[in-house]
Amino acid sequence: MKRHPRPEFALGIGVAAAAFLSPWAHAAKVPTYAITRARVITVSGPAIDNATVVLRDGVVLDIGPNPAIPKDARVFDGTGLTITPGLIDAYSGSGMPAARTGSPGGGPAAGAAALPAPNPINPASRIYEQVRALEALRARDLGVTTIVPIPREGLVFGSAAVLNLIGERPEAMVVKPNIALAASLTTLGQRYPDSLMGTMAFFRQALLDGPHHRAEVAEYEKAPAGRKRPAFNPGLDVWADVAGGAIPLLLETPRIGDLRRAFALADEFKLKLVLAGNTRAFEEAALLKERKAALLVSVNFDPPRARGFFGGSDDDKERADIENAEKNPGVLDKAGVKFALVSGFAPDFLAGVRKAIEKGLPQETALRAVTLTPAEILGAADRMGSIEKGKIANIVVWSGEPLTKDAKIKMVFVDGELYEPEEKPAGPGGAAPPHPGDMNEGARGQAEVKR
Amino acid sequence: MNNRFRNAHVLFAACLIVIFFGLRGVAEDAITAITNAKIMTVGPAGTIEKGTILIQGGKIAAVGASVSVPAGAVIIDAAGRVVTPGLIDAHSHTAMEDGVNECTNIVTAEVRVRDALDPRDISIYRQLAGGVTAANVLHGSCNSIGGQNATIKMRWGAGSGDALIFQGAPPGIKFALGENPKRSSFGGGSPRRYPATRMGVEVSIRNAFLEARAYKKTWDEYEASAKIAASAPKKGGKASAPAPLKVAPRKDLQMEALKEILEGKRLVHAHAYRADEILMLIDVANEMGFKVATFQHVLEGYKVATEIARHGAGASMFSDWWGYKMEVYDAIPYNAAIMASHGVVVSLNSDSDELARRLYWEAAKTVRYGGVSEDEAFKMVTLNPAKQLRIDKWAGSIEAGKDADLAIFKSHPFAPDTRVEMTLVDGKVLFDRARDLAARTGVAATLGGGQ
Repeated sequence: MKRHPRPEFALGIGVAAAAFLSPWAHAAKVPTYAITRARVITVSGPAIDNATVVLRDGVVLDIGPNPAIPKDARVFDGTGLTITPGLIDAYSGSGMPAARTGSPGGGPAAGAAALPAPNPINPASRIYEQVRALEALRARDLGVTTIVPIPREGLVFGSAAVLNLIGERPEAMVVKPNIALAASLTTLGQRYPDSLMGTMAFFRQALLDGPHHRAEVAEYEKAPAGRKRPAFNPGLDVWADVAGGAIPLLLETPRIGDLRRAFALADEFKLKLVLAGNTRAFEEAALLKERKAALLVSVNFDPPRARGFFGGSDDDKERADIENAEKNPGVLDKAGVKFALVSGFAPDFLAGVRKAIEKGLPQETALRAVTLTPAEILGAADRMGSIEKGKIANIVVWSGEPLTKDAKIKMVFVDGELYEPEEKPAGPGGAAPPHPGDMNEGARGQAEVKR
Repeated sequence: MNNRFRNAHVLFAACLIVIFFGLRGVAEDAITAITNAKIMTVGPAGTIEKGTILIQGGKIAAVGASVSVPAGAVIIDAAGRVVTPGLIDAHSHTAMEDGVNECTNIVTAEVRVRDALDPRDISIYRQLAGGVTAANVLHGSCNSIGGQNATIKMRWGAGSGDALIFQGAPPGIKFALGENPKRSSFGGGSPRRYPATRMGVEVSIRNAFLEARAYKKTWDEYEASAKIAASAPKKGGKASAPAPLKVAPRKDLQMEALKEILEGKRLVHAHAYRADEILMLIDVANEMGFKVATFQHVLEGYKVATEIARHGAGASMFSDWWGYKMEVYDAIPYNAAIMASHGVVVSLNSDSDELARRLYWEAAKTVRYGGVSEDEAFKMVTLNPAKQLRIDKWAGSIEAGKDADLAIFKSHPFAPDTRVEMTLVDGKVLFDRARDLAARTGVAATLGGGQ
C-alpha cells in the first residue's frame, strides 16, 4: 500500500490544528476598521482632532489626519466621538472566583472554616488559569481592554499575567505571561502565618529557600551519579526568580507601614517590586517618589470590611478610611508620585476613577494612570497603553468626555476586534450596572456560610 | 452630629501633629539645660536636691548641683519639679500591628516584633505622658518559644518602625510556660494543638534546642570547611583538607534565632508563673547550654528566688495582679521585695499600654508591700529593667554620657498627686503637658462651637 496521505485529509488536519493551536485562529475573520474624523487622545503624544485611526490584524495600522483607508475596511464616522487607548486594570477581580467571605485579606470569618479553603500559598500556580473568560469579558462594558487578574484571597497568589479581554478561553487572552509573582502582606486565619510578624517571616524564609534550592539543584546537575536527587519544587524555583529581581514581586500592601516593610524586603533580597493596593500611600509620598516605586493605586475606596473583635464597627474610622482612600490618588499626584490606578476589585472601575478625579486627580493624569502607566509598570508599554502605529489595537470610542459622568462607551476594540456595549438605561449617577462577576460576592459567600 | 465628631477627629490629629512637630525644632548640636530641678539620678550621684542637667546631641553632657549653663542654651526651668530617668517597661506589647502572637506553631522563633511595629500607634504618645521612654516589646505568650522582641524607644513622630529601635540593645526572644502555651486558658475559637500539658511545653523547648544544636553543628562544620578551603594552597599536589561542601546548608530563620540563644547572643525572656516551671526551664537551660535573661510575670518567683538568683536571671513582674487564672492563685504582692532581697534584679512591668502610663505608682507599691526603700523601688522601673534588657550603658539612670531620656514629674514620682509634666527622648521633648493642654483647649472650643 502506498503511503501517500490523501491531500484533502491532510488539509483537514492542518485547518483543524491551526484552529485549535493558534489563539489567533479567529483573527483571520476580523475585519479591518477605520474610525474617521474623531478626536484621538493618544496618551503618548498630544491629542489629535479630526483624525482617523485604522485597525488591522490586531494592531493600529495607521493614525493621522488623512491616512490611507484600506478598501476592505469597515468605516465608522467618528464625528463628535473621542478615542482613547483601552483601559488597563492591572489589579483586577474580573472573571476571578468570588471570595469565600467578605473579609479583606481572606481571613475566614467564624463558621467559614468548614468550607474548603483554596490553597493560600501557591507560588507555582498560573493565576490566569482561574479566570472565567466569559465573565471577565464583561469588564469591556467599562472600557477595560486589558486586565491583570488577581485572586481575592490568599497570601501567595501565583504567577500574574497580562490578559486582553478577548476569546473564550483564558489561554487565548494572555498577552504576557509571568510578569510577576503576585502576593499579599496579609495574614491567614488559623494557619501560618496568622500575624503580620509571621507574614514577614514567611516571605523572608521563602526568599532564602528559593535561591538555596536552585543552588542545590545546580550542584546536583553537575554530577548526579551517586547523589540523592533534590526534590522537584516549582514553587521554590519561582522564589529563586523573585529573589534577585529576575521576576518582580507584585505585592499587595494593605497597611501604610507595609510600604516600608516591602522596601525592607526589597533591599534585603534585591527584589524588583510592584506595590499594590495601599489606600493611604500618600502618607509616604516622599518615600515613594524617592524610591521611584512601581505603584498600583486602588480605586476600591470602600471595600467590605472585617468586623471588629466583638462584631462591632468603627464608623468614624471607616469614614476616615474612605476619605483617605478617595483623596489618595490626587495627593500622590500633587506630590509628584507616578502610579497606575487599578480597580482593586471595585465593582465599577470607572466610578472609582471618576471619584479620584473629583477628589483632585487631574483628568489627564487619570487617563494616563489607566493606560500608559500601567502598561509601563507591567513591562508591556512596547505593545499597549497608548494609541501608536504598531501597538495592539486596544481602543475605546467614547461619546462625551472620557472618564466623566457624561461619557458613554460606544465601541471597544480588543486586539482589533469590535465589541459594542449594549445601551443601558442610566442608573442613578450614570454608573454602569454592577457586574455579577464582581459585585456582592462577599455577601453571597456570607449567605452560603450561614446555610 | 457625625460631622461634628469627624471634625473633632481631624482637629485632634492636627493638634497632635502640631505638638510633636512644634517640639522638635532643636538643632542636634544645640545645648538644652534643665535647671533648678530636684534630680533623682538613680545613679552614683544619688538624688540632687537642686541641680542642672546639660543635654547635647541627644546625650546627657553633664549633671550635678553646680553645673554651669553655657550661653545660648535652651533652658527648661524645672524649679519645684523632679527629674528622673525615663521609665522603662520590661514587658510590653505596645505599637504592634496585626497580631501580638503568631499562634499557629509551638515554636515561632523566626518571627520578629520589629517587623510589625507601628510608629503611628497613639499609645506611644500616651506612654510618654507617663514618663515611659523605652520598652521591651514582646511577642505574646501563645507558644513555648515565641517570636523575637524589639527593644524600642518611644520616639513619637518617627516615620518608621525601625526608627523606634533602641540602637545597641541586644536581641531577645519570648518564651512562655504554663497555661498560655498549653492553651488551657483559651476557648473554642483557639486552635487546639500540641502541647496541651506542662510536660509538653518542656518537651517542645527541649526538642527545639536539640534541633538547634544539630543545626548549629551543621553550620559550624560548613563554615570550618569553607575556611579550610579558602586557606588551602591552590596548586601543587593533592590537598589534604577534606573537600568543602559546595552548597551552604539551608538557612532556617527559626533555627538561626535558637542558635543565637545557644551562642549567648539573644536574651531569653520567659513568661512563667509557677515555681515548678521556673525550675523546669532553669534545668532545660542548663542542660542545653543557655541562660534565661529574665523570667516574666514570675508570680511564684518568691518561692524559688534563690534558684533564680543563682541562675543569674532577672525577674520582671506585676506589682499586685493575681487570681485571674488558676496558675496565678499563689501570687503575693511581696513578691518583688522578697526576690530583690535574695539578690534578683527585679523590674515592674505593665504588659499593658494603659498601665504603662502609671508605672511609677506600681513601683511605689513595693514600698508598702515589703518595705523596699524608695530608691530601690524606683530602680524597678528605671535602672533594673535597663539592666535586664542590657541597655544600662545608655539608659536607666541620669549620668553623663547616657542617653537624654528623661521624665520631669510635678512632684516625687511616688506622691499621690504626681504626674508627668514633660518627657524627653534622645534629648528631644516629645511630651509636654502644657502644650498638650493648650492643644486640647483648641479642640474643646471647636466642639463647643458645634453644639
